[in-house]
Amino acid sequence: MGRAVIVAGVRTPFVRAFEQYTRIDTIALGTAAVKGLLERTGLPWHEVDSVVWGGVILPSGAPNVGREIVIDVGLPREIEAMTVTRACASGLQAITLAAAAIERGECDVVIAGGSDSTSNAELKMPQSLVHKVAPVALNRKSTAADWFGVARKLSIRKDLLPQQPKIAERSTGQVMGEAAEEMARRNGISREEQDAFAVRSHHRAAAAMREGRFDAEVIAVHPERGEPVFADTMVRGDTSVEKLAKLKPAFAKDGTVTAGSSSALTDGGAAVLLMSEEKAKALGLTPLAAFRSWNYSGVDPADQLLMGPALAMPRALERAGMQLSDIDLIDLHEAFAAQVLAVLKMLGSTSFAAARLGRSTAVGEVDPARLNVSGGSIALGHPFGATGARMVTTMAYELHRRGKGTALLGICAAGGLGAAAVLEAV
Amino acid sequence: MSDFFLELAANKNARKVVTTLGLPLPMPTRLSRADGAWEDRPLADRAVVVSSPEGSAIHAILARTLTGAGADPWLAASAVSEGFRAAGEAWGRPTRLAEDAAPERPWALVFDATTITHPDQLRGLYDFFAPRIKALSRSGRVVVIGRAPEDAADAAAAAAQRALEGFVKSVGREVGRQGATANVLLLEDGAEERLEAVLRFVLSVRSAYVSGQPLRVSKRCKAAPPRWTRTLEGRVALVTGAARGIGEAIATCLAREGAKVVVLDRPDDAALGAEVAQRVGGVFLGVDVTDPAAPETVSTFLQERFGRVDVIVHNAGITRDRTLAKLSPEAWDLTLDVNTSAVLRLHEALLPLVPKDGRIVCLSSIAGLSGNVGQTNYAASKAAIVGFVQSAGPRLARKGIALNAIAPGFIETRLTDAIPVATREVARRLCNLGQGGLPVDIAEVVTFFASPGAAAMSGQVLRVCGGSYVGA
Repeated sequence: MGRAVIVAGVRTPFVRAFEQYTRIDTIALGTAAVKGLLERTGLPWHEVDSVVWGGVILPSGAPNVGREIVIDVGLPREIEAMTVTRACASGLQAITLAAAAIERGECDVVIAGGSDSTSNAELKMPQSLVHKVAPVALNRKSTAADWFGVARKLSIRKDLLPQQPKIAERSTGQVMGEAAEEMARRNGISREEQDAFAVRSHHRAAAAMREGRFDAEVIAVHPERGEPVFADTMVRGDTSVEKLAKLKPAFAKDGTVTAGSSSALTDGGAAVLLMSEEKAKALGLTPLAAFRSWNYSGVDPADQLLMGPALAMPRALERAGMQLSDIDLIDLHEAFAAQVLAVLKMLGSTSFAAARLGRSTAVGEVDPARLNVSGGSIALGHPFGATGARMVTTMAYELHRRGKGTALLGICAAGGLGAAAVLEAV
Repeated sequence: MSDFFLELAANKNARKVVTTLGLPLPMPTRLSRADGAWEDRPLADRAVVVSSPEGSAIHAILARTLTGAGADPWLAASAVSEGFRAAGEAWGRPTRLAEDAAPERPWALVFDATTITHPDQLRGLYDFFAPRIKALSRSGRVVVIGRAPEDAADAAAAAAQRALEGFVKSVGREVGRQGATANVLLLEDGAEERLEAVLRFVLSVRSAYVSGQPLRVSKRCKAAPPRWTRTLEGRVALVTGAARGIGEAIATCLAREGAKVVVLDRPDDAALGAEVAQRVGGVFLGVDVTDPAAPETVSTFLQERFGRVDVIVHNAGITRDRTLAKLSPEAWDLTLDVNTSAVLRLHEALLPLVPKDGRIVCLSSIAGLSGNVGQTNYAASKAAIVGFVQSAGPRLARKGIALNAIAPGFIETRLTDAIPVATREVARRLCNLGQGGLPVDIAEVVTFFASPGAAAMSGQVLRVCGGSYVGA
């Protein structure tokens, strides 16, 4: 079988939750991205074999977001679709699944990506309400007296107040920001280092926008009400270390992690077009990049929740038969500046390599000039399911622009998961 | 089986009243216990203050153990050694100097005394513990690591090392009221690498009822590479007397670590035993251990069903208490037969089925170590187990099989529930922790002895008695 190549990637502008996209749910965001992808590539619709979608906050009424996108875009309904979730690595997961399917010969052309709308996270009623009401509601013989009996048993506080959604680990109860706080403490990452990293992310993203480096991938979104959105709205090119230094710690009283050094709740979608190399040639499309390897790893969520990339990245490199020094570009998802800096520290540590990877030498130091050259999630935002697809897209275009080279991707995800992939220019 | 004073002490207001009025009532602290299988990081986020002098051979091992187990290490000595720094970096547990700041309530105080060769150097114990002992967390741990006195080069070194035991036993008495324990690990020469498993266990909540005890860490038994979770995956374990009480708890704990447990008990208890077996995903085997055919039956069963048995726990035991003059010959015979002879017979018959990394655990009793009124038969039978383990243990160790015994103190079971109230109330309080142990406390230690890490120990009798005042 031939290898799978990435021929295009498209994403909606990323927008802070509860702003322009408030009324656009994850299915609609995905639909916008896929439509944009089809328009930009001019791909004949009937060529698509499958849609693989990644998402984290799945709508309970239609959890197979991928399938709904096929229908809403208006693609032929014979095109099958699925939706996968691997927390923040969902987008990358969808894409590597697509690549694997193409390389196994199951499909020729796949659209893969992800989307999330934090604005449309559902409020959950307490399960105790369901347990109390369901037996009466589902029993056809229930009488008014039965309903009255149930109503009397309901407590407003326990049964009727909806639960607030929270980005907390199910097993440990730890909130993401607390995990970042802990990683900063454990790895000795200072507030100043975090702020400096966050500022750099904004400056680089702003430069990328200014130089038109996102033009190929960002499409316009037209909300039903309000102005159309043409570009990412959260990038602050004018931010500075002084400005960020004024922010209060967000997750612990004497902490070091602030809203400024964290990725914000974001709405957005991203889609990538993959196909076999022969198919690309046949369709006259230019391949941008291909996968050399990928890896998914897990750590105990009670350990350091967001350290996964420090394990997954070296393992992906190993599968690709490469060293960190062979890599030209590194794109590390910025959930928090503290998490990125902690992972970099781990990669540079010989002790870490010995204890956690069973190697005698450190994975290597990451050259800041090659890391997140167009900014990252802190500046651009982080619509969970879309981030992996955004990273693959940006790196694929960047590699293609350079005409050669390799890129290493790293993503941390809830549950103590880490994801990584090695891309090469085609 | 409820302990009135434990409940009372757990009630904040009651505790306040009793302490303010200075009432002479026991106020034991509810012990921290584990609520599931072994974890990768049993010490997650617990502060541990360590003193390990320059030149100690266990520096790196201490560092690896503590950070790998998830503890936040605080180093008492002013020189942070490379070993600690590297391990801290690997596990994201950077070492801090206890001199600069101190953790508010450290979970454990660990003192490395392996370099002490003269009683004059014992002052280091005082200097480390005296200012810190009051801050020790409730249910906390004091661990001193020394050398086996017989390995000492001269008498002064032996004296100094033996001093550690006296020190630890007394500390155990002092901190027991807060539910904390104190133990000493005695390292034999060349057994440094084996320390990790024992230290992990002693520092964890799973050693809740082990206090005032010396644990020898030896290299005699061949060691398997350490694994900290699901340690008994794929292992077949036989537990005798497993239908109820301590045996049931042992079966539960072993199964939790992945073992296939054969629940053995008398055919009369088939209903109870089968229920336990079903709950732990094991099989029930209805055999009376005193039956002359029992060894053959059990051996054939294990051979046919599994082809081997990796872990054997000789837990079945009885009491027939009477003062010697009133004791019937039948009571004497039965007690010795169940508690001792049956164990020996079963051991003989099953040994060929035990693989090279097998584990055998016997249940002795502190009555067997210290004697008890009305228990001549029982004490004799349980002391016999000590003799058996001490003789067979070292020989089996050469084959890689670890054979150890546990001597439980006062454990809250059906047996102790039958003791008259007044006697029971006194017996409960007669230990450092001021309360009876639970069956799970014994089971946790058995599980440790069944684990790969138990290669560090063989031929030992470990008291799990909460630091009992009896026969100490």
